Amino acid sequence: MLVPARDEARSLPGLVHVLRAEQPGAGILVVDDASTDATRQLLPGLGVEWLTLCAHTGVGGTIRAGLRYALRRGYDVVVRVDGDGQHPADQIERVLAPIRAGQVDAVVGSRYRQGSGYRAPGWRRAAQRVLAAWVSAAIRQRITDPTSGFWAFGPRAVRLLASHHPTGYPEPELLLLLAHNGLRVSEVPIEMRRRLAGRSSLTAARVGAIAGRTALALLILPLRRTVPDGDD
Amino acid sequence: MAMTNPIQLIAVAVSLALVVVVIELVRRGALTEEYSLIWLVCGAALLVLSFWKNILDVSARWLGIYYPPAVLLLVVVFFGFVASLYFSVVISGQRRRIERLIEEAALIDARVRELEAEAGRREAADPARQP
Repeated sequence: MLVPARDEARSLPGLVHVLRAEQPGAGILVVDDASTDATRQLLPGLGVEWLTLCAHTGVGGTIRAGLRYALRRGYDVVVRVDGDGQHPADQIERVLAPIRAGQVDAVVGSRYRQGSGYRAPGWRRAAQRVLAAWVSAAIRQRITDPTSGFWAFGPRAVRLLASHHPTGYPEPELLLLLAHNGLRVSEVPIEMRRRLAGRSSLTAARVGAIAGRTALALLILPLRRTVPDGDD
Repeated sequence: MAMTNPIQLIAVAVSLALVVVVIELVRRGALTEEYSLIWLVCGAALLVLSFWKNILDVSARWLGIYYPPAVLLLVVVFFGFVASLYFSVVISGQRRRIERLIEEAALIDARVRELEAEAGRREAADPARQP
């Protein structure tokens, strides 16, 4: 289980506790993206494996580092759970199931699929709807939550993303990248919690930046060469 | 080719100064050779244009520009544009490499911690082998 954490000192201990209780057999890796709070000091005491980035790189670099670590440690299935604790640990099995069954290479946990019962604030929801429509059209598959950070990656996705995970705040682009490289993606509904602590990293400016990047990725990704399988 | 007016003298002086400053920066090691090239090309182009005013006149007539010095401006804007695009590409590449470096440093840090823990365990198990 891969937990990207940026200034999550308040929610991290609780999250680790819950993750361990839910998935006793799984390794937990926290990747600290140059936090400015006590996150870094907490890590050694949590009893988890951890990486700490010496300068802020954003979610993309955090996940890339985490996946490369996982790969070197011989893990081939990775679940990404955000450090703010908003992803319910009791639903990890739901995102994992299609990967365990070998049906797909990556699974997104969607807050907006039927039965998720989560509602984001108005303007953010509207922006996400537009993004969702774009991404769905681009990969010819219905995606309802393109900015979700709740993911499960199977072996092919772990290998690809350990080197090629997009940079910054890249979730919509990630969907495009996976589809473009012929990986199978699916979405499952999850029930969301309010985040335990901390604020959403999705500010209006950032949503705008994400939308711009996604639009660009929509135009450019199809023109890019695909990554040959097994090229790390 | 004759020096006809002060502005031409100034243009030559400025172009020469650009070339000299760039060469001096490279000599001091403040600018690497690969990045100095684009500036030297700019300086050389400006120098040529300010020496042979005829080029401006001829090309202005050919391009249908009524005011020949505007050609100079056009060339300067063009070089500025190419230079900033080039540097955006350089910066993008650097950003990618820096991110990789940060990620690798984190992985190496984890490896060091692991090896230290292992070494600590070994020492605890066999204190006689301690240096």
